[in-house]
Amino acid sequence: MHAVLAAAQTLKAPDLDYFALAPEIVLTAVLVGILLLDVFVDETRKYLVTQVAGLGLLVSLVPVVALAANGADRSMLGGAYVVDNFALLVKALFLATGYVVLLMSSDYIGEGDYYEGEYSFLLLSSLLGMMVMGSSRDLITIFVALELLSIPAYLLAGWRKRDLRSNEACLKYYLLGVLASAVMLYGMSLIFGATGSTVLRTIGREVGGSVGEEPIVTLGIFFIVVGFAFKVSAVPFHFWAPDTYEGAPTPVTAFLSVASKAAGFVALLQLVYIGFFGREEVWGPLFWVLAALTMTVGNLVALRQTNVVRMLAYSSVAQAGYILVPFAVAGSNPAANATAQTAALVYLLIYAAMNLGAFAIVMAVARKTRSAEISSYGGLFTYAPGLTLLMSVFLFSLAGIPPLAGWFAKLYIFESALDAGTAAAVTLAVVAGLNAVIALFYYSAVAKEMWMRPVPDGDTTPIPVPPALAAALAFTAIVVVAVGVYPQAFARLGDLAQLTLR
Amino acid sequence: MSAFLRGYLSVLVFGFAAVAMVGAMLGAGRLLRPSRPQPQKYIAYESGVDPVGTGWSQSQVRYYIFALLFVMFDVEAVFIFPWAIRLEALGIFGLVEMLIFIVILALGLVYAWRKGVLRWV
Amino acid sequence: MYLNQFLLLAAFLFSVGVYGVLARKNGVLVLMSIELILNAVNINLVAFGAFHDTVAGQVFALFVIAVAAAEVGVGLAIVLLIYRNRHSIDLSEVDLMKG
Repeated sequence: MHAVLAAAQTLKAPDLDYFALAPEIVLTAVLVGILLLDVFVDETRKYLVTQVAGLGLLVSLVPVVALAANGADRSMLGGAYVVDNFALLVKALFLATGYVVLLMSSDYIGEGDYYEGEYSFLLLSSLLGMMVMGSSRDLITIFVALELLSIPAYLLAGWRKRDLRSNEACLKYYLLGVLASAVMLYGMSLIFGATGSTVLRTIGREVGGSVGEEPIVTLGIFFIVVGFAFKVSAVPFHFWAPDTYEGAPTPVTAFLSVASKAAGFVALLQLVYIGFFGREEVWGPLFWVLAALTMTVGNLVALRQTNVVRMLAYSSVAQAGYILVPFAVAGSNPAANATAQTAALVYLLIYAAMNLGAFAIVMAVARKTRSAEISSYGGLFTYAPGLTLLMSVFLFSLAGIPPLAGWFAKLYIFESALDAGTAAAVTLAVVAGLNAVIALFYYSAVAKEMWMRPVPDGDTTPIPVPPALAAALAFTAIVVVAVGVYPQAFARLGDLAQLTLR
Repeated sequence: MSAFLRGYLSVLVFGFAAVAMVGAMLGAGRLLRPSRPQPQKYIAYESGVDPVGTGWSQSQVRYYIFALLFVMFDVEAVFIFPWAIRLEALGIFGLVEMLIFIVILALGLVYAWRKGVLRWV
Repeated sequence: MYLNQFLLLAAFLFSVGVYGVLARKNGVLVLMSIELILNAVNINLVAFGAFHDTVAGQVFALFVIAVAAAEVGVGLAIVLLIYRNRHSIDLSEVDLMKG
């Protein structure tokens, strides 16, 4: 405390760029607004909170677009908080994901007699953390952003308070999440100790120099990568994911498997590309092993699942493995590192759309069948042809069948591995290729159930899809199909949003 | 001996002095007082009244909310101390920033109040 | 400057904490073990901060303390929720789903 107080003597008011902070400021104002709205509005009009929250998300997208149009990179607080194209792209991704999740959940939460106001509040808090994560180029900022996005997510996972499964989902997510962030913090403290700075750019300079040879740096990088491996549910740190995804309310599962995972990858991109790039020989093999294990185990276990949500959970574990491939090959040569970064970003964007879409279908079907067993999807085509078609689109996109978006995403992953050109990278590409084939089995098993099998209970009344859920479906489906047909636009976004090294 | 260890020497001396003082006082008391043990003297003291029930009892779980609220507000004070040192230099900017910080914290209290957490029933 | 002693203490605390999280079944004890890990981190940060003569380490530690309070607050609420629904805080009993 003494040294802090002494250092405070020289503290000056920081030079803040309010335009660069505008998306976060707007979102914070919306958060304050919906909290007040929630506590002062009566029980019958809680739906107002959700509406204001949705509107607020759209409003905070406005400054993001304005900043992107302006185009200048803005850096403040000594390089700890940077608003560049990368930050803007991931912020737009998080806001869009948040909006779709809100659309998906508005009826689910409203009908289920849950705490509607608090739900939106926690969802938006978590999104605020993600937005900050997109800009954080400093260990302290990354840590605070990570906790801001995780703590509300722990609570959301346990939203069905009286349901033992939801309790269990919440507990497992919490314990492993907290352990992961504690391990990650220990790694951060070691990195700070070796380099004497918390700003990623300075760390990058030091780690690339002679300090980088110290074993303490290796240990620090190892702990940080392991901590984030928990967050993105990479094997062997994935145990929480299937249980949490099954037990949590379905819209929350969609949110966790897309936004929370994306935030973990965003942090990893920043740490690896700016902070640790000089020590490729430490993190390269680590990511190689994680990627290979995650893809293989995720896909093999997904084959055996009988519950759609659990299958999607393991599928999302496997998808995380594909996103880890570019990390594993990034350090080989300069050309590879540029493609690798684009590949990871593009995959994140496309994965968000297709996974959210698949979960939206699961929710729509569960409204009628009250079940998520794969067998309950039998004969879906006879009474809900539209949903069947969309589900097939999302599943085949996840599998990577052309001309859907997922195909393009996988193509980019392979390209990054082949660009690297080393034996290890090519081996990893082969592993990924084999996995894509395995994955096709379980995705098409669900499709077969929907198109060819008879209806299990003979009940063929159509499924009513509420407008908000339909909007979420339409939005994700359009993205998946449009990107598949016209992929250049997304690739251009990914290229523009490169993180500048050093 | 380095200055670092010398700094801890005074801590050590201070510790010994504290232990010696407590020992001396308790020892003097033991030497001076008469010793007449009776069973009543070993009963837990509850304001002179005979104790009811066992010494181990669970406290109301509702205390936990208050403890939690206290801890939250208490811990956030660490951000206020460095700010207070530099209040003059930070000027209006610092004042507004800290006001925003405290207002957002207070919103948590407003939430707890409206949800009836603070009412003791 | 005496750095090693602090790092050893922190490494010891970290190990004890990780062991506690993995081996303990009582929910509250697991939370305490997590606090141990975070305290190991704080010792590291403050020691390194003094070593490099920069205030960043202590500022980081302050953030860790503040955020850890929020984290453990949520954790206690979750343990309490489990207790209300199951009348036990033995975490090994919470296994309806096998990952």
